[in-house]
Amino acid sequence: MEDKKKILAIDDEEDIRFILKEELTDEGYEVFTLGNPTKALDTIESFKPDLVLLDIKMPQMSGIELLGKIRDKYYDLPVILLTAYSSFKKDTASLACDQYVVKSGDLTELKKRIERIFKVKI
Amino acid sequence: MSEDRTFALPRDTREALKEIGNADILIGIPSYNNASTIGHVVKAVKIGHAKYYPGKRAVLINSDGGSSDGTRDTAMAAFNEDIYGTSLVKKPQEPLRGITTRYMGIPGKGSAFKAVFEAARLLEVKACAVFDSDLRSITPEWVQLLLAPILEKGYEYVCPFYRRYKYDGTITNSIVYPLTRALYGRRVRQPIGGDFGFSGRLVHRYLEKNVWNTDVARFGIDIWMTTTAMVEGFKICQSFMGAKIHDVKDPGTDLGPMFKQVVGTIFLLAKENESRWKEVVGSRPTAIFGFQAEVSPLPIHVNIPRMISKFKDGFEHNRAYYEQILSNDCMSKLAEVWEMCTDKIDFPMVLWVKIIYNYAVSYQKEVDKIHLLNSLVPLYFGFVASFCKETETLDDYRAEEVIEELCEIYEDNKPYLLKMWAEKGCED
Repeated sequence: MEDKKKILAIDDEEDIRFILKEELTDEGYEVFTLGNPTKALDTIESFKPDLVLLDIKMPQMSGIELLGKIRDKYYDLPVILLTAYSSFKKDTASLACDQYVVKSGDLTELKKRIERIFKVKI
Repeated sequence: MSEDRTFALPRDTREALKEIGNADILIGIPSYNNASTIGHVVKAVKIGHAKYYPGKRAVLINSDGGSSDGTRDTAMAAFNEDIYGTSLVKKPQEPLRGITTRYMGIPGKGSAFKAVFEAARLLEVKACAVFDSDLRSITPEWVQLLLAPILEKGYEYVCPFYRRYKYDGTITNSIVYPLTRALYGRRVRQPIGGDFGFSGRLVHRYLEKNVWNTDVARFGIDIWMTTTAMVEGFKICQSFMGAKIHDVKDPGTDLGPMFKQVVGTIFLLAKENESRWKEVVGSRPTAIFGFQAEVSPLPIHVNIPRMISKFKDGFEHNRAYYEQILSNDCMSKLAEVWEMCTDKIDFPMVLWVKIIYNYAVSYQKEVDKIHLLNSLVPLYFGFVASFCKETETLDDYRAEEVIEELCEIYEDNKPYLLKMWAEKGCED
């Protein structure tokens, strides 16, 4: 049997982390959630995710800044940015993400994007 | 293919470069009748060198195609002007050396680049950058943006990333970017951006290839360089350059030769690199550097009625030919678009993508490739007119979302390309 794909979800809002954990676990993924982005690199090192879901607006560090740090160290690790606003695209650094998804209570679009990423073969 | 032993650099230029000896950096500026703009580009490079690489031995070479408007004289006059004081930049410890030359070979941008590559090889440079001579928005920072990833971060090929007006770069947006991305799985947003940085090692690789009697010697050079770097595993990144302001053209008027040379080269490369793309699914982003500035590119006027008219006339003229090369499904949908077309046009993205895939396959078997590419031009006008209409009320960022949607359609329909590639006997 194929190993479960591992997803690290980083978001400062607890209820969002809860929904992500619940729904994505139901989809068959192994999910670890993190509320403090400053611990992200250490968590990536220990959890070894196949994908990172990253909120953009967080008090300790912006998701885009963290994306840059992830890219420096783990270039091949796919990242999906989660955002409430499409204006983040004005920051060119955001283009280093694999996908972005507008946050919503309905995770259908996010699940599609995750599936799409796990199909990528280069 | 064996290396082309002929030179694009004339003997006297080669001798002059040998006298210079080695250099760390080479900046190439290809030109043809760009007297009105080249002076600004030369000055920006000169200040860029003084500001960012004052201790590096650097050479600037203007590779000209026989301009009749005094381009070369203008370039050298700008080069010789003392602008350091007025630009508030100290004179560099290592002075920039300047050369202008007339390249030999097929007239075209690719031949001009070949002369630059030869100069880079002779000088044994670590890094090289090329800038279009019609640039109006180049600043000294561009020198650093294209060279620093190579000199400081170990990259070997740097593509520019510009903010462009939504109607600028229509060949890139409708075919070059999404098709290259779908084939090879790398997202390089401006693969034919015109300005690039590359390593000395990559220069050697380019010169090993005998492509200088093809469209690579003309406008095919940009996509050939990018694709070669991509498929041969050279480390690629993008640099954010701000807005690109240059001598833009209305896509409905004189993009014909460029369109055919670029698209023909992509199709040719698809065959050559067949083993590199058939297994690729989806795509991944490419690293991006550079300071983020809020810049607004200048609007470009496009003549949508003229593009629609070219589509309608072209469809009628080529209808029998389309029936030969397009799948039945594509042909019937295309005929519907044509029948419904008035002063407005709705050209579905999926249809466009399938047409491009049909053409990519037909190109491999078609004897008269020029005729094939000519017949694609009216369809391109139809699709671009439809894109312009669809994005008429959108800002550049929202228009970019439409391009992203198109890219995903290219990726999602790749199995269609693979199926046709096999059915039509294109496989090795």
